[in-house]
Amino acid sequence: MSEARVGPRRWMTPKMQILAVIFLSLVGILTFAVSREVTSTSRPVSTQLSPRPLRAALSTAEEAYMGLLWPIHGDVERSAMRMSLGQILYKTGDLSRSELKTRMEQALATYRVAETRILALEPPTSLRSEHEQYLAAVRLFQESAVEAIKMFKDGREEHLLAAYPKSQEGSDKIMRVGGRFWPNEFPPN
Amino acid sequence: MIRKLLRVTMMLGLLAVVGGLGRTDVLRADQDDRDGKRPPQTLPSGFESTDKLLRDVDRAERAPLHSAWIVESSRFLNVPHRAFQPDVGDPAFVDLPVNVGIIKGPDGKLTLYDSGWKQLAYIFNWNTSCCWYGIRNQLHAIGLNPDDVVRIVLGHGHWDHAGQLSEFPDAVLYIQKEELKQIDFFLNYPVDFNGGHIRAVNTINPLTGAQVGPPQQACARSPVCGYPPQTVQEILGKVLHGKAKIVDGRHEIASGLVIHPAFRGHTYGSQLLQVNTGRGQLVFGSDTYSSWTGIRDWFVANIQQTDTIQQFLAYEKCYVLTSRQNSFNNCISAHEPTSYTAAYPITSNWWNIPGGNCSRAAELVLAPGETTHVPAHPDRTPPSQCVSVVPPHPITP
Repeated sequence: MSEARVGPRRWMTPKMQILAVIFLSLVGILTFAVSREVTSTSRPVSTQLSPRPLRAALSTAEEAYMGLLWPIHGDVERSAMRMSLGQILYKTGDLSRSELKTRMEQALATYRVAETRILALEPPTSLRSEHEQYLAAVRLFQESAVEAIKMFKDGREEHLLAAYPKSQEGSDKIMRVGGRFWPNEFPPN
Repeated sequence: MIRKLLRVTMMLGLLAVVGGLGRTDVLRADQDDRDGKRPPQTLPSGFESTDKLLRDVDRAERAPLHSAWIVESSRFLNVPHRAFQPDVGDPAFVDLPVNVGIIKGPDGKLTLYDSGWKQLAYIFNWNTSCCWYGIRNQLHAIGLNPDDVVRIVLGHGHWDHAGQLSEFPDAVLYIQKEELKQIDFFLNYPVDFNGGHIRAVNTINPLTGAQVGPPQQACARSPVCGYPPQTVQEILGKVLHGKAKIVDGRHEIASGLVIHPAFRGHTYGSQLLQVNTGRGQLVFGSDTYSSWTGIRDWFVANIQQTDTIQQFLAYEKCYVLTSRQNSFNNCISAHEPTSYTAAYPITSNWWNIPGGNCSRAAELVLAPGETTHVPAHPDRTPPSQCVSVVPPHPITP
């Protein structure tokens, strides 16, 4: 019994006390460091995303096809936007009738050239569907432009309204294909 | 006598000089725009003097009170903080909500400020976004009728703020002419010496002349980037169907509901929306007010086509409009990382939208007679514990 009481006293020498303090301090620092690391706010907690399949790696043929379609896509996008904005600015009185006519004829010419260029491409089988969709979109833009240009022959602005659904469908289509081919085209804004 | 005359003449001359100095033209924005006293590079239609803004407060305070909420259309995840706010880097990465404002007028009709995302494919393909939920469903889920939406005010036309317009065929769209004119101008900008980095729907390699695709095109900061043809098409749809008002500067939509220009506060034709409420004037700012702490602490945020001084002038507009009550606490931000927390006090009464794919809503203020839309037992599961799913969309990986 007395041995048991004496035992700890033997350990509690000044040297041991200092060592114990150092040891406890080290444990404390370690605990603090670990807890700080765990609860660090340098990267805020995010919403969990459900797992999703990653985009499959592209084959050389696929990459080559997308690379050839890209400049065509740029021309089509710019023409589509110039047609849309042209009509808006015509309606607001900021673009004259003749300026709109010129713009639409230019767009129609671009779509026709784009169709020819797309038809000259040879898509890999895996991208055949997107190729067809893109071609269909360009044809829709052409039809829309042809319809809208009628306005300059008979003076009826209803043609713009009639042309609209086709250009909208065309825009939806190129957005879908573009979203697959060039997912970084429109970064967060 | 001659000496006396000289002395008097000198005194008069001195007085004239001092008087002249007193009248020296100083560029101040607190007076009406007479003689072109606008801050440099501010368009006439984009300028509003402090006096004019305060008159708008006076007028609005006599107008009916509105209720207001925000909902989160989607959320960008783990965005490098300095890409968003160059002067603020802690924490290193942030999640940015994309907030849409909902304002209910005294007639029960709704005005949306921005219309959220439509391009679901980008959520999928970027793999850096979550929580998208259709705006009509969001309105339903928080107890509002989407068919009551009669107006949509676009703070600016970027794709993450101007989507879903076609979901509201009868709503009237309000957008600044300046926003549309600048896209149009830059679409045909010459590419000779800039590789297309100014025009940018896509760009050209300056050495080879070949057009190159992302990510090399670095389109994010260029004037045309952020406006896919689909978005512009939807705006055209509104115009052709007689459901658009292309405004040029300040525009009073209704009593207590005023559009204020914030040109180049984020994009060329950005606009704010002042709303009269029981807690004073709220000012919705879309991406001009990307960060509420940025407004509070005077830091720029989300620089796209931004002239940083114009962004500060737009911050100042909020300070002026809210000067009678709550000050900058009433500035409503589109991407404030602390949205839906007590750190952004006006959004602290938040909840997860039921069945809303982790998207959140916050009740900002209620008009007299309007009962709360916050559920009796709101789900406030923190974002880190909420599992978001990718909504169905037409693109397969």
